[in-house]
Amino acid sequence: MLTLLLAADSISGWQLFVQQCLNGLTYGALIALIALGYTMVYGIIGLINFAHGDLFMLGTFLTLTLINAFGLDTAASAWTVAISVAALLIVVALFCAVLNFSVDRLIYKPLRNAPKLAPLVSAIGVSFIFQNVGLLWKGPADLSVPKLISQRNLLGDSAITFTPSDAVLLVVVAAIMSGLTVLVKFTRLGKSMRAVSQDPVAAQLMGIHVERVIGSTFLIGGGLAGFAAVIYSMYIGTIGFQIGYINGLYAFTAAVLGGIGNIPGAVLGGIVIGMVRSLGSAYVEERWTAAIIFGILIVILIFRPSGLLGERMREKV
Amino acid sequence: MANPRMKAIVSYPPAIMQNLSRRNITGYLLVGLFFAGALPCLSGCGESTGQSKPEPATSVAVSTDNAATSGIIRIVSSLPRTGSAKLQTDTMVNGIKLALDEAAYKVGDFSLELEDRDDATAATGDWTPDAEGDNARQAANDPDVMVYIGPYNSGAAKVSMPILNRAGLLMISPANTAVGLTKPGLGEPDEPAIYRPTGKKNYARVVPADDLQGTCAAEWAKDMGIKTVYILDDNSFYGKGIAEMFRQRCNELEIDVLGHDSIDTKAQEFRSKMTSIKALKPDLLYYGGTTQTKGGQICKDMVAAGLKCKLMVPDGCMENAFIQAAGPENANERVYVTFGGVPPENQTGRGKEFVERYKKRFGFMPEAYAIYSYEATNAALEAIRKAGKKDRAAIIEAAFAIKDFPGALGNWSFDENGDTTLHKLSGNIVRSGKFEFVRLLGDGNQQKPMGDQKK
Amino acid sequence: MNPSQKPPTRFLKRWDVLVLAVFVFYPFACSLTRTVFPSWAGPTFGNALGDQLSTLFIFSILALGLNVAVGYTGLLQLGIAAFFGIGVYITGILRVPSYPFQLPFTAALVLSALGAALCGLVLGAPTLRLRGDYLALVTLGFGEVVKVTLRNLEEITAGTKGLNPIPPPHLPPWLAVPIGWLGIENSWETDYRLFYFLTLGILVIVIALLANLENSRLGRSWVAIREDELAATCMGINAPRAKLASFAASAGLAGLAGCLYATKLTTTADPNTYDFNRSIIILCCVILGGLGSLRGVLLGVLLLLGFDNIVSPQINSTLQSWLQHLGGGVQSSAVAERLLSFSNWRLMIFGLALVAIMRFRPEGLWPSARLQHELHWDEPRPPLPNSNSA
Repeated sequence: MLTLLLAADSISGWQLFVQQCLNGLTYGALIALIALGYTMVYGIIGLINFAHGDLFMLGTFLTLTLINAFGLDTAASAWTVAISVAALLIVVALFCAVLNFSVDRLIYKPLRNAPKLAPLVSAIGVSFIFQNVGLLWKGPADLSVPKLISQRNLLGDSAITFTPSDAVLLVVVAAIMSGLTVLVKFTRLGKSMRAVSQDPVAAQLMGIHVERVIGSTFLIGGGLAGFAAVIYSMYIGTIGFQIGYINGLYAFTAAVLGGIGNIPGAVLGGIVIGMVRSLGSAYVEERWTAAIIFGILIVILIFRPSGLLGERMREKV
Repeated sequence: MANPRMKAIVSYPPAIMQNLSRRNITGYLLVGLFFAGALPCLSGCGESTGQSKPEPATSVAVSTDNAATSGIIRIVSSLPRTGSAKLQTDTMVNGIKLALDEAAYKVGDFSLELEDRDDATAATGDWTPDAEGDNARQAANDPDVMVYIGPYNSGAAKVSMPILNRAGLLMISPANTAVGLTKPGLGEPDEPAIYRPTGKKNYARVVPADDLQGTCAAEWAKDMGIKTVYILDDNSFYGKGIAEMFRQRCNELEIDVLGHDSIDTKAQEFRSKMTSIKALKPDLLYYGGTTQTKGGQICKDMVAAGLKCKLMVPDGCMENAFIQAAGPENANERVYVTFGGVPPENQTGRGKEFVERYKKRFGFMPEAYAIYSYEATNAALEAIRKAGKKDRAAIIEAAFAIKDFPGALGNWSFDENGDTTLHKLSGNIVRSGKFEFVRLLGDGNQQKPMGDQKK
Repeated sequence: MNPSQKPPTRFLKRWDVLVLAVFVFYPFACSLTRTVFPSWAGPTFGNALGDQLSTLFIFSILALGLNVAVGYTGLLQLGIAAFFGIGVYITGILRVPSYPFQLPFTAALVLSALGAALCGLVLGAPTLRLRGDYLALVTLGFGEVVKVTLRNLEEITAGTKGLNPIPPPHLPPWLAVPIGWLGIENSWETDYRLFYFLTLGILVIVIALLANLENSRLGRSWVAIREDELAATCMGINAPRAKLASFAASAGLAGLAGCLYATKLTTTADPNTYDFNRSIIILCCVILGGLGSLRGVLLGVLLLLGFDNIVSPQINSTLQSWLQHLGGGVQSSAVAERLLSFSNWRLMIFGLALVAIMRFRPEGLWPSARLQHELHWDEPRPPLPNSNSA
């Protein structure tokens, strides 16, 4: 590959390349985490939930508020840090899950029979509302989230940096992806989800409580946005009321790239995006990376209209 | 027909309309032409009965001889009032208000009004050409408007300048630093003539332009002993311009420029870019951009990627929002900021008095640009005072004739391009979460604008 | 209702003529008011609104363009702003003094529309076999690619500096004289009415064309494809060709709007102006007004963009000055100030309006008769949809 050749030419050679792959992997994992929420909701009711990114944004705002309120950034020992991160993950995920669920009940549920564009436009509307809530909550300026996890290099003095926050990110994403896969493949709820996604009428005829399944999907999707929010606040560290838009866009792209409705697909899509961004930035030009990502998306969709993993796994969610 | 609503929409058109509608296009056009032709004639007649047509706004203002010497004069400010520049522009508008307050909202027999317009939209969080264009056109069309203070962003100035130039309205920017707006030969080949379609000048600014700032930044870097530098910019009119000036001066000073790239300001993180830069081991990273274009994230990701060099940014980052976004722990002792003037805390003489009056009036410290909007307003008031009449052309003339104006920034004049003769810049560093003045840059000493100077 | 019954096709109705007359008459009514009541209506009475209305006319053309793809043909197009931007830049390249072309305005208008339509074909051709959301995503991605490309190809587009100045159109003498009779000054900068009538005129022509197109063979095949592509193909409709035509027409109208926009702004502005946000807002206008309905789309633009561009800044400044009088310049806390600024509630109002309208009128405010009939043919509805929508 061209990028590999270029890497060989560059100054620190393979180390730089490994580092860039690592950067891409972590950023991609983050995108994947948001993408999972998209893919779950899309898989079950075919709705591009434009508000998902903004839900995630509200999650980051709650994270910052909690950190400031409880002074979590002053935590000294590794144990207190671990406990506060875990507590944050749970609280923010609950918040986002409940919010997402309520939005579904209040706004999307009455539109289940409406033309397909109606819930889509409602989702855009909800996205505006969320953004406005964020604007009123924290104001228009970008904010910095204090670092909870140390930036110390786990690999000691090596030229390659791998920090504890990278590690936490990768572990959480891997755990969530496997958890979701197990949930969808082997549990009763997962089976109902797959059934509803295939054919809601038939599912209902088979005795599945369709609305309950959809509700749980929104709960899970919201929870994922909450996890993503906490991780994002730790890893990227700058939040603002508009971050939902671009992260949502990339996440949605990741979901479609991998084959929307497909859980490993969303993760794969996220990682592809992270890698393209990272390597593009390193070996092409930073300013072209967005064009490269979307260019790849267009090409993949033209040649594989249902995404990278879309065909192999026929069942949705 | 099952649906009553549909019936309502269909309705029952009268016969003539039905006939027209058969010949779809022609009918439509005919009716349009009818109205376009007949009705305007009526109003045209009505209009001609009135004395001197009041319609074109400019003709009111430009008609020189019988211009009013009392009445209302409106000052329009156009700044991004939503989005992340709001913290800055709030204090800028306060600066304008302070100046107007001190004049008791009066110049001669004119009473002054301020119209605080927003050139940003909530949806974008940044200035938009539509909003800036609207502001400019509305100001141009309002014969009471004599001065336009703004805009904040140089890109926005490119939209409003031609409009206001045609309207012959004085424009004083407190914050635009892009070179091409005033100076021939430094920006694009046909700048600034393309912003002055009438060929006359109506745009002035009270901040030094980027040619000074970019070159001074490079000189400062040289003085700090920087040997190698990597340059990033935000791909904007302002950021790219200043980065380019910086690069040229670096080449002249034989500072090794290791690379120059533009970032995608929509991206959320730049760790990969920082990793690549780290491999090049520069002594300094220069970022030509603003807080709104991810200046804070750049600083943060430098730390995350383990890039240990200094970061130098221009005045677009000289606001507390930048430190907030970067996180003080990341910015401290790392970020060097050049600024076309001296930060509020380090003002001396009249500048210090301004800061104190400001604090007394509003209860908190101004951001860096408040003093410039204060100065711009005072310059505008001076121009109105000198012109002595409500006449746009005379006010422009008076503004460009301002010489040795004793303002809060010192004694300064507008040169023939509309640039300030104040060439005093400052170098600042972020220390314990605040901007701290380090030294003066450029030829600040030549002008001797203030009595005492901190060296 | 019997579906074979011919849907109402006539476009020109009594109310349309009235509305058109109001818009045509508006500038003259303003000058008339000014002359008759000089004390009450200042010398600029109505100018600002007229100026903003002409921007709305431009966006109406853009929305009508989007409506061709989304409303008529059912192709969810999320990148209309890209074609708008392409139109803007073609105009810029053909008109600015720094390029050697400097074509007249009319030529730029035609070429912008054709150029954008060509780009529509280029995007449309490979994506024909994509359906629904995948197509939406490709158009979205295309929009982003175009934006980034416009920004980065500085040699051609001048990057974020934008191409300027774009000179105003030149009025031919045979038109300038009668326009002078109407009391309109032949100066595009100082008299908003020239742009007002130019954009209104082009909008009317576009509406007339689309009204005819709706009932043409092509227009009907678009609707057939929207309803059921397979069935349409079986009935002998060349679906790929019709879809391509739809894409091209949609993009062409967007390019046309772009040309007008650039000419009005006198610059191509920053490429970020033509991003996903704009596509989404325009899409909202179309859906809110009523997909596939000319009147609905126009109403949607008037309401949404009228609110965002005209009403909201007005309320904001009124509210601010009112608060100033009330508060007497006392600095309130940052949070209170945020809550009291109307512009900080704009998105909320926008969002609530979208949600409420979709909840209570999913077919849009003024739907096309055909769509309305489709949505309500089976009232009261059964509890569940048919399955293939999921």
